[in-house]
Amino acid sequence: MSTAMNFGSKSFQPRPPDKGSFPLDHFGECKSFKEKFMKCLRDNNFENALCRNESKEYLECRMERQVPASPLTFPFRQLMAQEPLEKLGFGDLIDGKSDKN
Amino acid sequence: MGGLWRPAWRRVVFCGWSWSHLGRPTRAAERAEPCLRPGRSGPAGTEQGLRRLGTWRRPSPAEQPARRPKSTNPYTRSQEEDWRRRNKTVLTYMAAAAVGMLGAAYAAVPLYRLTTGLGGSAVAGHASDQIENMVPVKDRIIKITFNADVHASLQWNFRPQQTEIYVVPGETALAFYKAKNPTDKPVIGISTYNVVPFEAGQYFNKIQCFCFEEQRLNPQEEVDMPVFFYIDPEFAEDPRMVNVDLITLSYTFFEAKEGHTLPVPGYNSNQQLSPASNL
Repeated sequence: MSTAMNFGSKSFQPRPPDKGSFPLDHFGECKSFKEKFMKCLRDNNFENALCRNESKEYLECRMERQVPASPLTFPFRQLMAQEPLEKLGFGDLIDGKSDKN
Repeated sequence: MGGLWRPAWRRVVFCGWSWSHLGRPTRAAERAEPCLRPGRSGPAGTEQGLRRLGTWRRPSPAEQPARRPKSTNPYTRSQEEDWRRRNKTVLTYMAAAAVGMLGAAYAAVPLYRLTTGLGGSAVAGHASDQIENMVPVKDRIIKITFNADVHASLQWNFRPQQTEIYVVPGETALAFYKAKNPTDKPVIGISTYNVVPFEAGQYFNKIQCFCFEEQRLNPQEEVDMPVFFYIDPEFAEDPRMVNVDLITLSYTFFEAKEGHTLPVPGYNSNQQLSPASNL
């Protein structure tokens, strides 16, 4: 990691994420999907391209879930804002085809 | 400084120094004679001279006219005045130029930001429609390794759930970290990230993650923290990235106090993070 004390050389500028921050899944509602995804990764030697279906399912789980948040905020808070899957880079998986290379 | 300019000598040298000598040429001997009286030299003379030192003062500007040319020759005097005037104008112009340069140096930074719209390091611009249309570069496989760090005062167990993942540019990928709060009190953490190597960091785009926002963990709670990211397809076309096959993503968690907000990084610090915001 850069010990960013060298004045004069460029230092790393962290950028905020495009869609903001994931709310924490305190109740583990999407945990089973996550376990499936992790198992897929381990089986396929951590190749992401082979496990994109599982990651898509995990994100869909997040988008569907409505979490009862604290009384001060809006009654239900999604674990992830609804986004069409193309915008998340899953355009080629929507028709149910899997993308194996 | 000794020699001619010692105080005692100054009395002798400047003794006959008055501006009146410019009016009519006086003999040097006439001017110097009173300075060389017996009272002024020798042990008694030095005492007197030193006594007079305390009271002697320069003729104030009110008593003498402002800066007169040094030469007595009338022909060179006007030339000298000319030179002085020119010197003054040149000096004024130089000073103005120096001040102008200083001002330009200060103005350059906001002007650059305004004209080019780039707030920080030059980055390949990305928008959400880019994700839709990007095509994975299948022949370029990159290994991403994960690192998790915790600030010393934060007692969480924070670690990645996979040591590495193989992606290609243009393909969105999901990765997980896990955090556990082993203490008996709820703890709020806030994290930041770092990408090595530095040049590859500008191609590393996070769609959604858990950074820069307070994350609260209840006692003995364990959560999964996902990171959804992709590598910009332009990575494959950058000649500087030809040898880059390994990118390390490192997250560090710090403890946050209740209600404290971390300013979102970037030039425009008024940015608000919302789940569907486009940058």
